Amino acid sequence: MQFELRTQVIEPKRKTFTNLVERFGDRPASRYEEGSIDIQAVENFHYRPLFSSDKEHYDENWTAFKLTDPYSFTDPRQLYYAPYVQSRAAMNDAFVKTVEYVESRDLLQKLPEGWSSLVGDVLLPLRHWEAGAELVSIEGSRWAWGTTIDQCCTYAAFDRIGHAQNLSRIGIVYAEGHDHALATAKERWLGDPALQGLRRLVEELLAGDDWAKKLLAVDLADRLLYPLMYTHLDEVALSGGAGAYSLFAQHFASWFADQRRWLDHLVKTWLADPTHADSNRAALDDVLAQRWAQIAEAVTDVAAAVDARVAAGAVANVELTTATVATDLGALGLTVPGGK
Amino acid sequence: MTVSPEKPARKLSMKQRYTALTHDLDWTPTYVTEEEIFPFTTFEGIKVHDWSKWEDPFRLTVEAYNKYQAEKDRRLYAVLDGFAQSQGQLGLTEARYMNAMKIFLQGIPIHEYDAHRNFSYLARYANGPGARFAALCQSMDELRHAQTEIHTLSHYNKYFDGMHDWHKWSDRVWYLSVPKSFFEDAMTAGPFEWLIAIGFSFEYLLTNLLFVPFMSGAAFNGDLPTMTFGFSAQSDESRHMTLGLEAIKFMLEQDEDNLPIVQDWLDKWFWRGYRLIALVAGMMDYMLPKRVMSWKEAFELYFEEQMLNGLFKDLEYYGIKPPRHVQWAIDEKEILSHQVYWVLYQYSHAAAFTTTIPDEADQAWLQESYPETWPVFKAAVWDKAQRVQDAGGRYFNPGLPQLCTVCQIPMGFTEPGDPLTQCQRQSVYEGERYDFCSDGCQWIFDREPTKYRQSWLPVHQIYQGNCGGPTLPDVAAWYGLQPGDGAEYLGSPDHQNWLAWHGQAPKED
Amino acid sequence: MSVSAEPRPVGVDLQENEENRALVEAIEADNEDLNIRHMPGMIRLTKTGQLVINQASVESRLGRPWETHEFQLAIISYFGEFVEWDDDQIVIAWKH
Repeated sequence: MQFELRTQVIEPKRKTFTNLVERFGDRPASRYEEGSIDIQAVENFHYRPLFSSDKEHYDENWTAFKLTDPYSFTDPRQLYYAPYVQSRAAMNDAFVKTVEYVESRDLLQKLPEGWSSLVGDVLLPLRHWEAGAELVSIEGSRWAWGTTIDQCCTYAAFDRIGHAQNLSRIGIVYAEGHDHALATAKERWLGDPALQGLRRLVEELLAGDDWAKKLLAVDLADRLLYPLMYTHLDEVALSGGAGAYSLFAQHFASWFADQRRWLDHLVKTWLADPTHADSNRAALDDVLAQRWAQIAEAVTDVAAAVDARVAAGAVANVELTTATVATDLGALGLTVPGGK
Repeated sequence: MTVSPEKPARKLSMKQRYTALTHDLDWTPTYVTEEEIFPFTTFEGIKVHDWSKWEDPFRLTVEAYNKYQAEKDRRLYAVLDGFAQSQGQLGLTEARYMNAMKIFLQGIPIHEYDAHRNFSYLARYANGPGARFAALCQSMDELRHAQTEIHTLSHYNKYFDGMHDWHKWSDRVWYLSVPKSFFEDAMTAGPFEWLIAIGFSFEYLLTNLLFVPFMSGAAFNGDLPTMTFGFSAQSDESRHMTLGLEAIKFMLEQDEDNLPIVQDWLDKWFWRGYRLIALVAGMMDYMLPKRVMSWKEAFELYFEEQMLNGLFKDLEYYGIKPPRHVQWAIDEKEILSHQVYWVLYQYSHAAAFTTTIPDEADQAWLQESYPETWPVFKAAVWDKAQRVQDAGGRYFNPGLPQLCTVCQIPMGFTEPGDPLTQCQRQSVYEGERYDFCSDGCQWIFDREPTKYRQSWLPVHQIYQGNCGGPTLPDVAAWYGLQPGDGAEYLGSPDHQNWLAWHGQAPKED
Repeated sequence: MSVSAEPRPVGVDLQENEENRALVEAIEADNEDLNIRHMPGMIRLTKTGQLVINQASVESRLGRPWETHEFQLAIISYFGEFVEWDDDQIVIAWKH
């Protein structure tokens, strides 16, 4: 059955903005595209920065990694601000529910002794790792060339300060509403030998140049640390009577899967660039040559601290993950020191 | 881990909890120096002794931020979707209202985006965790504003000209170098100057003049999406105002040597910002078919009453004086919008908006709002433009305007107290002559000539052959302008479509 | 340095809609000599001295819990300074 529409139909003059028509053809654009492609200014800059005489305030040369067309990279998650805050509000909501559940049943207080010490001495200090990772991530938000990369770095930074805050929340519940466990955790971060590798790494990165190399170095560390802390220990906790640990860990593990999606895609885009693929590969090799051994050692130290408290096979897990990541990197044509 | 058996009785207050979740995440580095991690906070000469004194009254956490922002955007996008579905553009007062939104889209989102990028700079390089986290939230907000503005106006772009290539126009077209140079000036300064430029002077002193009357005007002209977007953005803006106020007070409280530096920046950025929003004055008084208040009234309400009689009395405590050249701005309030709109009118053939002679209702309103100055301008310019139009023509200035080296607005402002004599100031630096529209802009140049001599002045660039060629069609092609984007409103495609949509035949000339 | 002793106006602009009605009523009830100005889509509340928003007043009119953070959904602009923003109260005033 057909209805005759009496309302006047007004034909639109165009489907979207000219730059998107030129790029994608004459089709409607998504809100992700309209809000993310070609937003950053690209030409006719007026003044050199007072803090940098050799680069413009937007400049491709703030990193060694380059794309012929910066918008050849788009976020596979298609996240612009509104869906980003909505998805994170839902994630936070789930996390808060976990916190309330754990708190109402005193589950952190009921942890087996080894697990309790693992939470206080190893997990809680990692809030500072997250805070440092946030600072590295936000550099990409300032220095990246193009909006799509900037945007992913911005959200990653906001996610990570959120993690730092969520780990702090765990610390407050752990200390039954007080902040002394956080104070102890900070002392550990500053002095416990098991954590100094990570702290040295993030401090050295913050003092260095090239935001993208630094972002990748943090990611390499995450690729060893997250599978250990939030996947492997999640499973061990379930069988070890530490349900509270598992309840918290799942939130971080699912975030890490989300984080991998855009980072893996970015690395792939860099390595597939029609003009810059070789120099991008060389820059990645640089990061590996400079940092891979340091990173593996730093995370192994953390794993040893885990094993000292719970028989979790943490060091063995890091060894395994190290080999897997090395294989994956090798498959991309990268040179991983140590020959794995 | 030892948990002391005798725990303190009280749990954490809102403030302690906030501190534990934000400030306490920071630590002092030992493997590298603090200067290596924060390399940009010394060269401007601002002295900071204790970053922990930075207060954020909002005490936002990531969780609260995401929760409230998600709710704001849920409401906003529901309005945008409903408006598009119901062809809401048909309910605007008139199609010419869109011109205000065209200038808005061309001149604002890209710089909200700049602000996003540079608040990330603060979020990274400020030494104190409180300042960094407040800046991070503002960086997120500014990205939100850029995107929600584009999404709000996206629907109009489908039905009206003058919006489709805003990205290219923002980097190339002459009048858009006014906001572009303003924000790039701030971005290329250091972190503390940025805070005074954007955080304080723009967000706290002037942003109300830009947004509040404008969004109320959108509500008055049937533009529900812009009103909703605008009020929603303003709810973030109140956090930004707070950051700006905190920033200036923090600098002033940290060391008294900071006072002269801050005063200089305040003087500079007040005038920079005031000249930028002169474009808003023209839009408010001439481009809105229905108006909420005049520029003059908004200036009195939002600047003179709130800022000069409120804020600056507060800052007096620290030794801060009202901005240099503020009296010039006050003296201009009766003539500013007339001068700006006349510039836009005579050059709109090389622009991405249309203009027209104020109609009878507009003129009655202008007469009522500006009884002293409107008759003078009407006689000086509009009666002539009307005679040209009555003879079947349209007055456009055939030449290229001279631009002020600092604010980059065509030289059309006048001597104080003399609304018909063009003001022109000149400075010579290393043998080159530079021109300015006012004492304010000249003073800014003379402070930092090595910076402003770099200005990418659109008219100079055309003369130097960098803009597609020497003729107007060459330049328009390089700008990416299409027929209908600019020139006269009456008879334009937007105007004709509007009449057709409403069942009226286009007027015969 | 001279400090002006005279109390000066402070104020807040709020979105005028159904969601904010209880909030506006609470502010009206808790602040004597409040000046109110309506503009399209918004309401402007000003007062000499200080302007107070009490959580309890808003909640009693709203009939549900209301966190002071929620004030952020309503506010368009303000002048003065947030001298206090706690769980139970928000105060806008000039400090000096």
